[in-house]
Amino acid sequence: MSVIAGRPVRLALALLACLVFAACAGHRWAGPLDLARAVAGDPDLSARLLVAWRLPRILAAGLVGALLGLGGAIFQGVFRNPLAEPYLLGSAGGAAIGATIALLVPLGLPSSLALGGLSFAGAWAATLLVLAVAQGARDTAGLLLAGVAVAAMLGAVRSFLMLALSDESVSLQVVLSWTLGGIQTPTWAGLGLLAILVVLALAASLTLARGLDLLGLGTDQAAAFGLATDSFLRRAICVGAFVVAVAVAYGGLVGFVGLIAPHIARWWVGPRHRALLPVSGAIGAGLVLVCDGLARALLPPAEIPLGLITAAAGGPFFLVLLRRRMRA
Amino acid sequence: MSVLAAGALVVARADAPAPILDAVSFRAEPGRLVGLIGPNGAGKSTLLRCLAGLVTPQTGAVTLDGRPLAALPAPERGRRIGYLPQSFQPAWDYTVRAVLELGASRAPGALSRVPAALDAHDLTALTERPWSRLSGGERARALLAAVLVAEPPVLLADEPGASLDIGHRIDLLARLARYARTRTVIVVLHDLERAVRDCDRLVLLDKGRIVLDAAAGVVAASDLLDTTFGVRFTRVSVIEPDCPILAVNRIA
Repeated sequence: MSVIAGRPVRLALALLACLVFAACAGHRWAGPLDLARAVAGDPDLSARLLVAWRLPRILAAGLVGALLGLGGAIFQGVFRNPLAEPYLLGSAGGAAIGATIALLVPLGLPSSLALGGLSFAGAWAATLLVLAVAQGARDTAGLLLAGVAVAAMLGAVRSFLMLALSDESVSLQVVLSWTLGGIQTPTWAGLGLLAILVVLALAASLTLARGLDLLGLGTDQAAAFGLATDSFLRRAICVGAFVVAVAVAYGGLVGFVGLIAPHIARWWVGPRHRALLPVSGAIGAGLVLVCDGLARALLPPAEIPLGLITAAAGGPFFLVLLRRRMRA
Repeated sequence: MSVLAAGALVVARADAPAPILDAVSFRAEPGRLVGLIGPNGAGKSTLLRCLAGLVTPQTGAVTLDGRPLAALPAPERGRRIGYLPQSFQPAWDYTVRAVLELGASRAPGALSRVPAALDAHDLTALTERPWSRLSGGERARALLAAVLVAEPPVLLADEPGASLDIGHRIDLLARLARYARTRTVIVVLHDLERAVRDCDRLVLLDKGRIVLDAAAGVVAASDLLDTTFGVRFTRVSVIEPDCPILAVNRIA
């Protein structure tokens, strides 16, 4: 672990800087001193708004980003491919169907519960469907193909639902806005639940670290080194699907973070997953914090969908990555 | 002391007219370097992968000290059988140390042997070097060290050093021969000269069947070798045991 010696402090400082930036950014910029006063209990309205609205939102943004970074690292490890991203196995399509139903069908549930619950269930169900279509996790190429096919079918179903369920009273723009990603300000209870889920996700993913390292040697060599590859892959995909489903339930479809964060983490701490997983999570958190801050601050009083910001920043990064890979 | 045995192994593919392995029975014990030889498509690598537990035969079984390999938990199989593949390219740019640590992670206490293993395979200076920056010989040594650091009682090697120059190949086979003094070592070889010189026992395979299984000298002298490979070999007596033979039509 000498590779990362001394780096946790720098990572924590960078994350803190992202957190402060996100807390300051908004329709109205706040200074660090305003933040300090607000946290100290300043009774001023703007200070109370900072604590009651912006703080839970940026904390949720950081946690969603951590999940995306974690999910990306897991799926890149499972597929042994740096171009793999967390939505590969249909979770995005499944979550979008769940969200479409939650947004367009009156279910008699609180909207945040319906949206979060159904998008989580959709993401999870889609991944299970991909596993069933691919007849398990043994053949990763088959899994990828199954993921593409299921995603295409789910996209068609979602489009049909959007056309069939929308009317004058429910705007399609609401659904579109969700698919572009965005962090809603959660209640403190909701934030607490998200924090617990993130801790669980991190703990579960760390149990995968050795297996993901071994998979990096190739499935044959991993098996020769004593890894029960089939059952491990199933377990890893289930953990990854859980991580992504929670992220989608809280943040909608936020692209590119799960692709980019593991790359930056790998450059920084190398490819061993015991360090890579938490660092990728931390970098994902930092990226979403900054992008969410920009989303709120760039076009006041409107808010740009978070997914547009991450795509605008991530697209060029992805192209550079492809170029480097083709050169290699 | 581990005895690896295969009984009437059959491996077939639905799209192939003949089985890849056709009722192959085989037994290997410690103390002798066993070479698997045969022409392309004879089934050598498939037999080795069956013995390593990486391919499940349609019929027949592999046993390790009398226990069916299929019944061994994966971690125990990984501890007891070392497998050196024909080709190896990790997905991530692991350092030499990382590859050895992953090899060591399969056996309790093996992590503490990593520095000694690095030293024994002349890798100490390359410890933190990424895989992409190693030469072919360095990669072969690093992978062998990663497999051997757990000290598996059985070692299976599929054409080790096939892509190496003659000097590195001789060095690698010498390491395997040393390991075979106390362990069970089976190695697939295309280089017949090295097979005859370095192995104690040779198993000649053709079309999925064992054609001849005997001491290396006996196999080398047998006409079956010529028949199986479809060529006529010239047998020469080695004067300098450590020097490879270079056959030429005319020396200028």
